[in-house]
Amino acid sequence: MKARHLVWIRRISQTFFLGLFLILLVESRLSEDVYLDYSLYFSGDADIRLDQPVTFFFDLDPLVWLSSLLSGHGLVHGFGWALAVVVLTLFLGRVFCGFICPLGTIHHAVSWIRPALKGGSMVRANQKTPAQRIKYFLLIAVLVSAVMGLNLAGLIDPIALLFRSLALAVVPAVGVAIKGVFDAMAASDMKILNYLSYGGEALVSPVFGYGYPAYKTAWFIGLVFLAIVFLNRIRPRFWCRVLCPLGALLGICSRFSVLKLEKDHEKCTDCKLCSKTCQGAASPEPGQDWEKAECLLCFNCFHACPEGALSFRFRWSPKINRRPDMGRRAVLTGIGAGISIPLLTGLDSQAYHVSDPRLIRPPGALPEKDFLRLCQRCGLCMKVCPTNAINPTLAEAGMAGFWTPHLIMTQGYCEYTCTLCGSVCPTGAITEISAREKIDRPIRIGSAYVDRGRCLPWSGNGPCIVCQELCPTSPKAIYLKKEAVSGAGKTTWLVDVPRVDLKRCVGCGICETKCPVKGKPAIRVIAAGESRSIENQILLPDLVP
Amino acid sequence: MDWKHPITRRQSLKTLARMSAGITGVAIGGYSFLSPGRAKAETKDGKFLVEGVATKKDYETKELIKTVFEAAGGMGRFVSRGDVVVIKPNVSWARSPELAATTNPEVIEALIELCLDAGAKKVRIADHTIHDARRCFALTGVGQVAKKTGADLVFPRPSLMKQMKLHGQRLDVWPVFVPLVEADKVLNVPVAKDHGLSTLTLGMKNWIGAVGGRRSALHQDIHQTIVDLAQFFKPTLTLIDATRIMTKNGPSGGSPADVAVKNTVILSNDQVAADAKACGLFGYAPEEIGFVRLGQKWGLGTYDPQKLTQQKVLL
Repeated sequence: MKARHLVWIRRISQTFFLGLFLILLVESRLSEDVYLDYSLYFSGDADIRLDQPVTFFFDLDPLVWLSSLLSGHGLVHGFGWALAVVVLTLFLGRVFCGFICPLGTIHHAVSWIRPALKGGSMVRANQKTPAQRIKYFLLIAVLVSAVMGLNLAGLIDPIALLFRSLALAVVPAVGVAIKGVFDAMAASDMKILNYLSYGGEALVSPVFGYGYPAYKTAWFIGLVFLAIVFLNRIRPRFWCRVLCPLGALLGICSRFSVLKLEKDHEKCTDCKLCSKTCQGAASPEPGQDWEKAECLLCFNCFHACPEGALSFRFRWSPKINRRPDMGRRAVLTGIGAGISIPLLTGLDSQAYHVSDPRLIRPPGALPEKDFLRLCQRCGLCMKVCPTNAINPTLAEAGMAGFWTPHLIMTQGYCEYTCTLCGSVCPTGAITEISAREKIDRPIRIGSAYVDRGRCLPWSGNGPCIVCQELCPTSPKAIYLKKEAVSGAGKTTWLVDVPRVDLKRCVGCGICETKCPVKGKPAIRVIAAGESRSIENQILLPDLVP
Repeated sequence: MDWKHPITRRQSLKTLARMSAGITGVAIGGYSFLSPGRAKAETKDGKFLVEGVATKKDYETKELIKTVFEAAGGMGRFVSRGDVVVIKPNVSWARSPELAATTNPEVIEALIELCLDAGAKKVRIADHTIHDARRCFALTGVGQVAKKTGADLVFPRPSLMKQMKLHGQRLDVWPVFVPLVEADKVLNVPVAKDHGLSTLTLGMKNWIGAVGGRRSALHQDIHQTIVDLAQFFKPTLTLIDATRIMTKNGPSGGSPADVAVKNTVILSNDQVAADAKACGLFGYAPEEIGFVRLGQKWGLGTYDPQKLTQQKVLL
């Protein structure tokens, strides 16, 4: 095959997979096409599920699979795709990096559209550097800490990182900006602008989300993403060369690959065009040792060589490729970091003892210890949550749980029969449950309590009981009692005051979300009582149901 | 007034308030217009109430609705050819229909078909739900009804909430869900339910789902705010769905044990009368329900049997 064709096939493949990634990202939401067959609901329990395989790229990702396997000792469903990628890599090399990885494609495009360096400086920038060992250090650190029971892969896994950055930071940031424009148009006195704002809103809401979600710590997620993209100004595909742990894993897998770069020293005129275009700093020049583990299979060198001195060939010879240049130091420090990070994060006891009251995990989440073994912090549950309740943590789960999901009830609440988050979790850190299970077991995520000093009836400021009205359980966990409370002056009111029956409360938080006392509501939910934990309980269990 | 220059919202509201003073069927916010049909249906003499009860075991909801409308003189009396009709169900909760937390989708479906048969140009379904609207529309069946009948389902988007002058005793300017005032005919189709604060939620209380803003603050004077909203929206018709009613744990319910099957619908062009009639299903007298009492007091309607043409039809 001609080099030109190969390069074009690569470009088409990259565009296709980046497009697919974006489509699946957009589709990771509750659709507004709500035409369900309601007769289904008479007969049984049909749960709303997403139509698209939104976890496809996570299923494809061998690092997600391997880290979950090492830490969770369980196979991730759909791992067949990840195995296929590994097998492909064994034969061809880092074809995932060059042809599939959407984050790689973004870096590739950014470095290609406006290269930061020219001529000789680009050739020098594309020489292999010891810094490229950092990715092996990161990979080893992540895998060792996974063995120790803490799964950090998602923080730097390219698929999880890209999904998190786009879904929680980039798309919402644009959406909120657009919302500002629409709001201004809707408030206008000109009828045509009102129509346009409504039409525009209906048009963009499938992409920017119904209700314009916003996420805590998203500024930081976005900043990290911008920084990673900016690194391409220093060297093309800096992330892929130096930092990406998945690239490191695939590099190691490519040791025995049979697709090899053949160099013809005779034909080479030493023009260095191959080095100038090399995306992976894999030493394609004749005279240098080709670094198979660094090669991203972009076929640029093959395409750039004017003399035909380079070609990719299948060689079934027993001669194996050059060892990935990991460096002993990277391996040892990787092991050291992999052991010490779980030990150190274990110190901020929150992960293993009674947790932070605000650490309210999504319904169906595994017990904390197991949860941290599997959660990839990808943000998929946060993206699909229809009420925007699920947000990334900052310190609520300790450092070990940075950016894992938790519910913020002042932002949204857990809808009583909604089970979307568990249905999309790529690793099963949130188990898939049915609405029926959620109600009958019941799955509690916390407990509500009334703050009498703030509560309108309790503090003698008037009737309210919004919390009781919205309480979704039957019988209601929030019940009313008539009490004589003294108001301002000499008045005494006989009003309904809300109380919480902890045996019935599931911690859904709709009371907190809709409480008229804003900011710090008069009824709030804490994690205590969550059914996933044996220790974090308030009441003695009832033996007779 | 100088019509060559654009007027501000305040001006337009003031003007309209002046124009509409004393006229029933208020034109709202500078965007809607007076509809003769609506004004006519609300004249004092034409007040009627039809209670339809299905006594057959296997009855078709459609048949029941049709019978009730026939007794009232046919849908053609209320909906004219070319009208834009908006239906306001109560689908606040993402609950399946049999839990009676939301309006029975079969009732809505039958109603839409009657509107279309009467020549309505467009039928819209609009509700500002409490739970996530997508889930509410899907689980209550109203989404499927919209698809089946070709009615528009209007999502409560921020761009559709507009500050309007309500002229209430308690509420002055409040964000209103615009599609519910920008229509020729407004049909209120609530479900009859128990409620912790207002005792019952019926037709007039359904208007809380027609506004935006800080709705949870309305509870501080629930009966008066309900009446304020009801006098602002003034539906052409109120059709109370009592095929299934929720007798306890309202308004959200959640268990089949909270539901009683009544196979009844109540149709009236007087929202106070309709609500008053529905009180009986729960064993209450109209005077016992604050907003019904206040509704009569402020002249929104009447539950005085002398002033109403009442009928009961059995199926």
